[in-house]
Amino acid sequence: MKPNFTAFGKKMLQYGLVLFVAITINFLLPRLAPGDPLLYFFDEGTIKELTTVQKQLALESMGLGGSLFEQYLVYLKEIVSFEFGVSIKYGLPAMEVIWERLPWTLVLIGPAMLLSAVSGVAVGAYSAWNRGKSRDVSLLTVMLTFQAVPGFWIGMLFIAVFAVQFGWFPTYGAVSIVQDGTITGWLKDVALHLVLPIATLSIATVGSNYLLTRSSMLESLGQDYVVMAEAKGVTKNRLIFNHGLRNALLPVYTHFMMNLGTLIGGSVVVETVFSYPGIGRLLYESVVARDFPMMQAVFLLITIGVIAANILADLTYPLIDPRAKSTRYGKGGS
Amino acid sequence: MKKRGLCLLAGTILMLGACGEENAVTGEEAAASADRVDNLTIGLHTDVGPLNIYTGNLDWMTDLVYDKLFSPSPYVDEPIPWLAESAEQLDDKTWTVKIRSGIKWHDGEEFTAEDVKFTYEYFRDGPANRHTHHVSEVPKIDVIEIEESGDSIRFECAYACPSLATITFADLPILPEHIWSEVQNPRKFTDLAVGTGPYELTDYQSDQSYQFEANDDYFMGTPTVGALTMPIIKDSTAMFNALRSGEIDASSRTVPAELVSSFAAEKSLKLAGTSALSIVQFGVNYEMAPFNEGEFRNALSLAVDGQSIVDTILLGQGKAGDKGYPHPASPWTNPELSTPFDLTEASKAFDKLGYKDVDDDSYRETPDGKEMTFAIKVSAGEPIYVRTAELLVEQMKQAGLHFEVKAVDATTYAADIAEDNFESYVSLIGPHGVADPDQFIMSHKSGYLWSKEIDYPEMDKLTSDWMAASTIDARKDISFEMQELYNSQPTAIALYYPQEIFAYNSAVFDQYVESLGYGIFNKYSFLPEDTQQAVSATQPELID
Repeated sequence: MKPNFTAFGKKMLQYGLVLFVAITINFLLPRLAPGDPLLYFFDEGTIKELTTVQKQLALESMGLGGSLFEQYLVYLKEIVSFEFGVSIKYGLPAMEVIWERLPWTLVLIGPAMLLSAVSGVAVGAYSAWNRGKSRDVSLLTVMLTFQAVPGFWIGMLFIAVFAVQFGWFPTYGAVSIVQDGTITGWLKDVALHLVLPIATLSIATVGSNYLLTRSSMLESLGQDYVVMAEAKGVTKNRLIFNHGLRNALLPVYTHFMMNLGTLIGGSVVVETVFSYPGIGRLLYESVVARDFPMMQAVFLLITIGVIAANILADLTYPLIDPRAKSTRYGKGGS
Repeated sequence: MKKRGLCLLAGTILMLGACGEENAVTGEEAAASADRVDNLTIGLHTDVGPLNIYTGNLDWMTDLVYDKLFSPSPYVDEPIPWLAESAEQLDDKTWTVKIRSGIKWHDGEEFTAEDVKFTYEYFRDGPANRHTHHVSEVPKIDVIEIEESGDSIRFECAYACPSLATITFADLPILPEHIWSEVQNPRKFTDLAVGTGPYELTDYQSDQSYQFEANDDYFMGTPTVGALTMPIIKDSTAMFNALRSGEIDASSRTVPAELVSSFAAEKSLKLAGTSALSIVQFGVNYEMAPFNEGEFRNALSLAVDGQSIVDTILLGQGKAGDKGYPHPASPWTNPELSTPFDLTEASKAFDKLGYKDVDDDSYRETPDGKEMTFAIKVSAGEPIYVRTAELLVEQMKQAGLHFEVKAVDATTYAADIAEDNFESYVSLIGPHGVADPDQFIMSHKSGYLWSKEIDYPEMDKLTSDWMAASTIDARKDISFEMQELYNSQPTAIALYYPQEIFAYNSAVFDQYVESLGYGIFNKYSFLPEDTQQAVSATQPELID
């Protein structure tokens, strides 16, 4: 059947509107917070020594001269021309700083999300199948504990045990400052630096994937079609994966896709605990420095990430659940 | 003609053996190479960018790369000539400085008098930075000219400037003209800093690390550490874990009081205690009632028990602020200053001013019977200051005053202080604010401690006398009077003088010295011993 492009076009228009509103909020929000970038360059004592003219000149040198509306127009013009301003703190084009940090965030958050989702779904399904048994109760207890414990505490514990006590892993950073000059040495070094942050992030997020899968799976397993399949003698694995899990996966997939959108924003907590140079820390540092162009660029990137993940979810839902085909884009059902 | 500082220069130069530079350096090199450490890894608690003083500044880091005409700083009694070979005061307002020859910038260009002239004019006439007022207001340098000889610069001030060598020359880093004259916008300049200092900045990765290589031809001796590696670790737990695991050899973050005993138990680590040359202060908004009354501020000062704060919050790691403001360890501070805690006298003073508890709610009311509640603003990112503010609330309650703590994020706090949007605050002020006598004058003009827009006849008179004084001794006497006046009605009350404790792995490097106001991380720690002695660097106190 032919896809309904009118409905798809409406959806895209809707996303475009969301993007425009987000862009405007990205511009206004940093400026509504108390303080301005002058506070990054001058301490509160020195700033009092500046005359109004000196302050104005300093702001202009950062590209923040003119009225709010004038700055907004410049900002829109920059976006249209795919320029995103120059970071006040770093003195470099905001996108250049982002491209430098993004790979670190992706190699940290990507594997952690996958690990958390796959293990959460697998253990959740297993737990649901064994509902009420001691192994289910034990798993539930462990996962609820993971869910309740703050991520930074897990990270600190890992560092204290595996880095300080045993010396197996480095305590900070994404890569050692001094290298042996070989690619394999560098890759090994990067991997070593990633182990504890990925483990921390995975454990901190696996609980929600587990709980979601378990409850969704329990609902699925209670349906008549599962009872019917079991009565027909369908094998256990087929029953779990084809009848139970496949139907239970939709909310888990939605949850995953929502997280995927924010992946690009990194994890402030884990990146801070491990002094990891990702986007999460970049955003935090930019907020503290009131680095408006940098904040705008990172917020925009996150916005685009969320919208892209939503579009991707819309397009891939039918692959997970064929019933979605008939409702996603109008009436063109199967 | 008055001469000042020249004998001091000659003496010091002789001591350093810098007159016979070639021989001296050779000797130093020989001595240094014996103990030289190849690499030292110092965990850095902050990121100050590529050491562009217009976008980020940490004095000791800047000092690794740049040099000043005099060293080590304005915080010592008699800084010695550094990039300057000598300096002579020709009259009340005029100085001439002869620069050293044979010094090169890290990129190989020759250092010249033009660089000095350019730097001072750039600070004075260019975009504002923290050094601007040191050339444009206190003191005010009108003329900067290179003399015919080509290696001397003449400075003419708008009014007497007897401390130009000891304060200004010891504070302003010299920039390379051949680089900075080409910079269009210093706030967007991201090239690695190029200086004449003992270390060349060879790599900087934002929020990750710095790498420095020793300048082996350094004119004050070959550095004793070949390379400095500085990973940026902002989280304090991560920093101390890295130190314990041996990934770093020292931490620029000071050890908090509660961790001192556990670090002291680590066999591989040593703890060095230094004076922070800073004050944690309780500031008030002197433009609003009742803090606009000098006598009220004096009573407030009497009600502050700094010792209790030191004992309770710092576990003894510091000294009570009972010697007032500026810092008592500064040679420019009146040694007779005293701001004792006396609750009885404070109560009497409040009563005398008419602030009494008329409704028996344990808190005083204004003379016209209105209730008073004040907020103590504090940065939520500084837990020690938050706890200090909480204790202050209790102390003020003893005096019958109702204060409340208002903790806000660091940037909001800074914005509120800068815009006078506060009733009172607790914060730390560093060496530049509490040990630099010119800054004390400036802080009374700028609005930090007082504003030139508000009448203060006694202080204004003293400031005029200070500006007219043509000798350092005369200025010191007047400064002492100003400090007494200030502490009799302080707008920022000294709560305590913190002590800084640094932890380091002594097996890797154990030649740290303290340069007043800089702790143990300063360029002199990495220079030969005779240079350390020449700049009055001292051994830090080791903590058991």
